[in-house]
Formats: sequence, structure tokens, C-alpha cells
Amino acid sequence: MPYLASLEKEGIPTILINFNEETCKVEHDSTIHGIPKLRHIVASRNSVGGVSEAEILIQPVLDALIRPLTDEEQKGGLWAPHEPRILFEGTLPEAEEFYNQTEKIPGMLNAPFARYTDGLPVVIPTEERVETMLKGTSHKPDELITLQRDMEMPGFGVVESTMIRKKGDMIRFMPMYRTATVEQVAVNAVMAGCKQEMFPVVLAIAESGGGTGDGRGAGGAFIISGPIYKEIGMNVTNSIFGPGNPAAKAIGRVGSILWRNLGGYKETVTTITTLGNPIVNGGFVIAEYDEGLPKGWKGLNEELGYRKDESIVMPHPGGLIGEWGIGQQNAPGVYRSLQRTGHGAIARFLDVKGIPGPHNYLEYLTKGAWATRDGGFTLVMPPQVAQDLCDYGFKTKQEVYEWIWKRSFEPVSEFRMRGMQDFITNGWLGIEKTSGKPWKELPNDYMVPAGGDNPFDSYNILLCNMEETAVARFGGGHGPAYSIDAWR
Amino acid sequence: MEDRVYRCLNPVGMQPPVKTFPLAPRLDTLDGKTIHMSICGEADIWVPLEKKLKAGYPNVNWTVKKRYHIVPMELSEEERKTTDAVILGVCW
Repeated sequence: MPYLASLEKEGIPTILINFNEETCKVEHDSTIHGIPKLRHIVASRNSVGGVSEAEILIQPVLDALIRPLTDEEQKGGLWAPHEPRILFEGTLPEAEEFYNQTEKIPGMLNAPFARYTDGLPVVIPTEERVETMLKGTSHKPDELITLQRDMEMPGFGVVESTMIRKKGDMIRFMPMYRTATVEQVAVNAVMAGCKQEMFPVVLAIAESGGGTGDGRGAGGAFIISGPIYKEIGMNVTNSIFGPGNPAAKAIGRVGSILWRNLGGYKETVTTITTLGNPIVNGGFVIAEYDEGLPKGWKGLNEELGYRKDESIVMPHPGGLIGEWGIGQQNAPGVYRSLQRTGHGAIARFLDVKGIPGPHNYLEYLTKGAWATRDGGFTLVMPPQVAQDLCDYGFKTKQEVYEWIWKRSFEPVSEFRMRGMQDFITNGWLGIEKTSGKPWKELPNDYMVPAGGDNPFDSYNILLCNMEETAVARFGGGHGPAYSIDAWR
Repeated sequence: MEDRVYRCLNPVGMQPPVKTFPLAPRLDTLDGKTIHMSICGEADIWVPLEKKLKAGYPNVNWTVKKRYHIVPMELSEEERKTTDAVILGVCW
């Protein structure tokens, strides 16, 4: 939309062809970019070959370029919606009814959609509760949420170049490009059920964009590394992904609420998602148990350039994709048999029958890992599995990432049949990264990685304190880190 | 306690004010004009549409830029000087 706005403002008339369910969002986006009366025409997604649809559209498209402007289309002005600081005054029962209200969204077949929440009841953000939450930070209530340090953001897809962001850059919450103060984040933190001691984590999450992404962030997924996990009481043991831990539930939830309130997410109106993301729906935040790392293996904070005693939050890049259970599965006891005595299915797979470990479990895990998907993944494992890998010969996490990444290579002829890559490579017009050559110049038998652009960005290992030798696997590797300590 | 009135704060972020503009004046005719087709996202109806526009309106100087991505490939400053109108789709 910024492009269309710039063309119209420069005196170049335009017409946008969009799809039916996008109309509300088109009108919304055009307002945000200063051209509320943008002309647009709806096309069908479904006409076979598009021929009949093209016949239907030709005249309206060309007519939109020559039909004189209406009085409304010739008007300029100012769009400046204002939100009051005090949203509601009343008793607590009245406040509960107000904050938990819903509206019907036509694009969702008039399904109710929460106005201020993630769909669940919230803690009412009274002045007193917000004031208490604000004591969890030294930052002033009226301070705007900005970037706390210079950062390099890697390119993705057609945006190949690294982007530099500067300390002090305003954080824009998408899809509405809104800004927010520390106090407004505190209001949302109260609503999510966070406690005062969790607030620096919530502020770091807000600094990262608050789980809003490009407007389709789904509330995000977050990994915490550093000593703060003990301060706020996060579970780093059995049931690390399960219910019952207040910090994990409340902080995990806050992204969805920030997406709704700071970002302005309203399905089919300001953002159009496809199916949503069940992995992060309801919240996804875990913390790393770095005490169990083998010698020589770094914690996530150290991997991302921080010290072991510093606390960070990393928005997990797999949060948008929401893949779970990647690679070959096994019962935990089958893993133990492999390493203890060389028996069981994995031992048969590796042909090490009767030979005690350490064996390379990754050979089993990664078989077929890229058969139906591409990209990397994160492994959450207990200390014993990490130690087995270290004893086998992986002296650093990076060595594991590189091993897995190399295993994902396949011929270009197979890679070209992957559905995401038509988009990521810009229709194969871009440059293949391992060779530096255009995709179209590569021979069919040239080997390329199906498992992500590079080992570090594509893979991640986190430990959880558990005796049972089970390993969780989900999409996404490393992302940028945001300091929690900067928000204390 | 149930009758106590509480002041409750607003969780909604701040919307920066936006200056809104009138649309650019429309063309008086298509003949002899340079009209740019900005194709982005999936090819979809653009495959037949591009052909039909070029075949049906030979007096128009058609220019095209294509990108598979949702972000369109933009006209340069120089190109904009000689472009009279733009048709963009299916992403924006």
C-alpha cells in the first residue's frame, strides 16, 4: 500500500486488483497510508485459467483509470482517531462486561470477535493494578516503546539485504503501525494476568514487536534465556509446554493481547490470516534450562551475543509457521535402549545392535525431516540427550546445527517442487545462496539445502530439566535477541 | 465493595494521525498513454489479463514488472516520470 499511496500522491492514477475477502483490509490499509478512496476491483480466486475473470475485469480496470474523480475522491484531510487514557469507569462487574465484549465480524460469517482480549476473560486493568505493574520497571510510564540497542536484521526472501535498525527507533505495532507507551504495555500485561516481576519480560516482548509480526504475527512465540526464569518462576522441567505454570501462561498470552490492542488485529478487517496457528494460540513462551548444558555448549543468551548472566527474550521464528513433531518419532524408552545397550528400533536403524552408545541419534531423528517441509527446527531436550550428543562428538551446539543442515541437501530438481520456494525465491528469479548464482543457471543435480539458509539461523537446541529422554521438535531456529535487563 | 467505581485504563495503542490525500486525476484517454502493469503475488488472472490488455489496446504503451512476492517491484523515479497510470495486483 505505501507504493500505491506514493504513486497517487505523485499524480499517477492507479487501480488495485484484489480478492473478495480482502476488501475490508484494502480499505483499511489505504486509510492508514493516506489514500482512503483508493480505487480497487475485486477478482475471483477461483476462475479456472483466469480467462473468464480477465474478460470480466478488463473494462472496470480501465474505466477506473479514466472515470473522473468524485467529490469524495478529491478530498484531503486528516485521519486522527483518538483513544482516551481512561477507557471505562464503573464497578468491577460492569468493567468485566465491558472489557470482555465482542463484536460480530462480517468477514468471519459474523462470528463474535473480542474487542480487547484474546477471547478469554481478562484481569481488569484498574488504575491501581496498572500502577503496581509499572513498579516492575524503572522506565517511565509515558516513555514510548523504542529499540533499546542497534540491531541488524537479516533479509528474507526477496528482501535479501540486511536491515540496520538503530537504538531509539520507534516500535510500530502491526497491522495498524501504532505506537505505545510503557503504561499501555502495562495495561495489557495486567489484562494477561502478568505479575509485576514479569513486566521487564513483557516490555522486551513489546520491544520485539509484541508478537504482531507484519500484522499476521499471531501473538508470537518467545524463548527466554538467562537467570530471570528463576526470578519469575518459569517451569523449565517436565511439562515445560504444559499447563499449570502461571508465568508461562500469562507471559505466553500477552502476545495475543498485544496483537489485538497495540497492533489493532481484527481478522479480515485489518489483517487476513489463513488458518491461524494452534501452536501459539493461547500463548507460547518457554525458558531455557542452561544449567544442564554439556561443557562447551552455550546457552541461548551466549549464542546471541549476551553473557551467561544476562537475560534475553528471543521471538521464535517458527511462531508463524507452527510446525510440531518434525522428524522421526520414538518412545523415550527406545532412545534409552539405543544408548544404554544398543537395542530397539533406533539401534536397528543405525545398525548398532548390541553396541552401547553414545550413538548419533540425529541420524534417526532427521530421516525424512524434509520430505514434506523445508527449513530448520528447534530441539528441546533433556540434559542426558545433550550429553549423549556431546559424548558422541558434537562438542558445541553449532556442530549439531551444521550436521543437521548438511543432511538436508538435495538436488535442485527436487527442491524446485517445494511449494514455499516459488514464493521465497521470487519465482526462482533470485540468487541461490550457497553458490551465489541465479537459480535459473543451476544444473538439476546441484545440491542445495532444504533445511534453511544456514545452520545457525535454521536450528536451535534448548534444554529442559527432565530425566525422561524425550525430545520436542518444532519449526524455527534462531532469531534476534532483546534484552530483558534493559527493561528492569 | 461491589459498588466501588474503578477507573480502568485503555489497552489500545496510539494511532499516529494520517494526512489523507485526494486521488490523482484520472486520464482523459488511454490512447498514447504509458500504463504500467505491476504484477505481484501469484500469477493468477494476470496470465490472461496481461495478454488481453496488450492485444486489445495496442495504442497503449504497456510496461510490466513482475515479482512473485507480496511486495511489488516499484517503478524507479525515472520510470515514474514517463508512466501515466498503474494497474497493480493481486497483492499490495
